[in-house]
Amino acid sequence: MAVNEGTGPGEGYGAVGGGDAALDRAEREPLPCGRELWSVWERHETGEPDPHSDGCPHCTEALTSLRRLEDVVSTARDAEPAEAEPDASALVGRVMDVVRLELRPGRTLPLGEDDEDAWIVEAAAARVVRAAAETLPGVRAGSCRIEGVPGQGPGAASGQAVPRGPVVIRLAVEVALTWGLQEVADRVRRRVLEAAESELGMRVVAVDVTIADIIDEREERP
Amino acid sequence: MPGDRGGTPQEDGADASAQRHDGLLAVRAGEGDEEAFEELMRRHAPALLRLATRLLGSRTEAEDAVQESFVSAWRKLPEFRRDARFSTWIHRIVTNRCLNVLRSRRPSVDLEGVPEPQAPEHEASPSRVAESHAAVADLSRAMAGLSPEQRVCWVLRELNGLAYETIAESVGISPEAVRGRVFRARRYLTEAMAAWR
Repeated sequence: MAVNEGTGPGEGYGAVGGGDAALDRAEREPLPCGRELWSVWERHETGEPDPHSDGCPHCTEALTSLRRLEDVVSTARDAEPAEAEPDASALVGRVMDVVRLELRPGRTLPLGEDDEDAWIVEAAAARVVRAAAETLPGVRAGSCRIEGVPGQGPGAASGQAVPRGPVVIRLAVEVALTWGLQEVADRVRRRVLEAAESELGMRVVAVDVTIADIIDEREERP
Repeated sequence: MPGDRGGTPQEDGADASAQRHDGLLAVRAGEGDEEAFEELMRRHAPALLRLATRLLGSRTEAEDAVQESFVSAWRKLPEFRRDARFSTWIHRIVTNRCLNVLRSRRPSVDLEGVPEPQAPEHEASPSRVAESHAAVADLSRAMAGLSPEQRVCWVLRELNGLAYETIAESVGISPEAVRGRVFRARRYLTEAMAAWR
């Protein structure tokens, strides 16, 4: 057995690079010099210097074949179509066709007075609510749930109708660092109430605004 | 250049805000906001398409795989956890879809029967093109002999330049198992290509 600088079996070359590869015994068959192929390659990959390999014909051969593969891979990569961003608009359109057949409208919500029979689905109402909040600069709307007043009538799950009567809007927003939190919460609430009344004709008893995150505009993209 | 090789989760600091915006869109999409879902697709589809094309070696099959992955994502979004990263989640769905496509292919017993890959469309000097074509053809032919599991790990490592730990997360196996698969793939490819020269 060729022993260089204390290399012997079981000396744990497998530990190089953090973590042993899951290999079976046959795959750990050593090269004629006693080194395992995978550890020679892994040292090459991690860039760890290996004085043994530099002078060993078996390791050199193993590294040459790996470098040849690397060269081909890099050539193949360069030969890929140069478009940096493949055009996915047709694909997005096809998925949206499916999505529109599988909409999730959420609960059905009452509009107007108790003796009327006007309704709107939650997803449509939430769109108006979010858009109203986002008329304020530096505000982004996230989760928006609209439901009956807790404790008044049975709660409605998604797909069910909320009993006629006023509703509660729960809206999460992310706001720019420049806003005072109480001020922005108040202004979001007012905008949402105005839109619910004027655009939807929805009776709202409460708008719960949650500040879910603060946006640091310095890290935003231009 | 991070991201230059079409990597998944980008490490640059500028992406912290993109990730957060993804999170917001994912919550809205989960609540049934299909416009938020459309924007999520526009943000991620190009990179996913490139990934799937590399994994499957076919743009047509890649389009199908990414399309099916997005449809499945739309259905599963109501259960998507806010603390998970949308990018990681959707990459995992696409990777697994591609793995299943590869597994369902009939094993190519005869490597000579593997069709030559199509020539890349862009122009370059004739000798460089010839050299590239030969290299790409050899490599594609050799890659057809990899197991689906080896192929996925090898492509994510060598073509997308991902870390072993990232691949492990994406494929759902241990980093050690990923190292083993990448090693086997490299050994197979070096032997296959040496045999043809």
